Amino acid sequence: MGKKLVVDSSVLIILSRRGALEAYLTRRKGEGYEVLVPRAIVRELLVEPKRYAEGIKVKYPELASKIMQSVGRVNGAIQQGLIGVETVNYREYSKIMDNVRKRLSRLDAKPEHAVKKGDPELIILVIQLYDKFKEKIFVSTKDKSLIKILKLFSRRVEYGILNGP
Amino acid sequence: MAERTISILRAVGNPNKARVIAHLAKHKGETAEDLSKHLGYPLPTVYKYLRELEAARIVESEVKGNVRLYHVSDFKLVISPERLMRAFEGQSILDVYKSKYGDEGMKRLSELMAKVDDGKMTFRQAASTLGTTYYEFVSLLNEIGAIDG
Repeated sequence: MGKKLVVDSSVLIILSRRGALEAYLTRRKGEGYEVLVPRAIVRELLVEPKRYAEGIKVKYPELASKIMQSVGRVNGAIQQGLIGVETVNYREYSKIMDNVRKRLSRLDAKPEHAVKKGDPELIILVIQLYDKFKEKIFVSTKDKSLIKILKLFSRRVEYGILNGP
Repeated sequence: MAERTISILRAVGNPNKARVIAHLAKHKGETAEDLSKHLGYPLPTVYKYLRELEAARIVESEVKGNVRLYHVSDFKLVISPERLMRAFEGQSILDVYKSKYGDEGMKRLSELMAKVDDGKMTFRQAASTLGTTYYEFVSLLNEIGAIDG
């Protein structure tokens, strides 16, 4: 069992667009990390960009093709098991989930139901993995606010931030 | 390939990073500590440069025993007006966004970027406020150069 590294879509999108995703995942694997993402963000990585590419392909065929290649790279990494997709246990973590949603909605001044799934799922996954393995969980994201929310749970979970790709 | 060209240009355009590349080309397989000592850059700065150079696939590393050794990858950058045109004038998500939302949209994007940078809003919240997908928003930040590394 390797060290657990929860990676946000921001990192994966940038790496795949730069064509550096596979090198990154191989490097992290070599360093002993198991790269994991919550199920909610798979949609952001595969479904949404595909739909976006289809919507622009008549006017911007070159860009649409580049986006599809980038989606293909992420999909390939998931299929090969270089990125593990984890399911968050909503039943077990419902209270914490509500708390995370509350914090996020306060940040944005929007109702809780408007909070996108990706942010709370990423934070809950870190907590869930820590509860399961009782070891430091590593997180990689480009999103400062997400780290800020995660810090609020630092008494409950031991985590480390991996900066940059 | 355009993004690769841009990431190489970004790396070699910084004289300090270019020195790291030059040094590694001459002295193959050095540690970050070696580089810090030989080039006189603070160790955290060396790590930052190496992370960025690895992300741009200009530098590779391998673990030997308990040390990480860095090497220069075999890369070649050919600059010509046509290549630069392809790299910088190719179709981008920013072009699509601009054509859809115009100057007003750019103003909103810049306001949200400031909020995201101040840690007042997550990327997902900003994307939702802007009316884009998360993928578009992150790509916009990347194309504008608002995300380092």
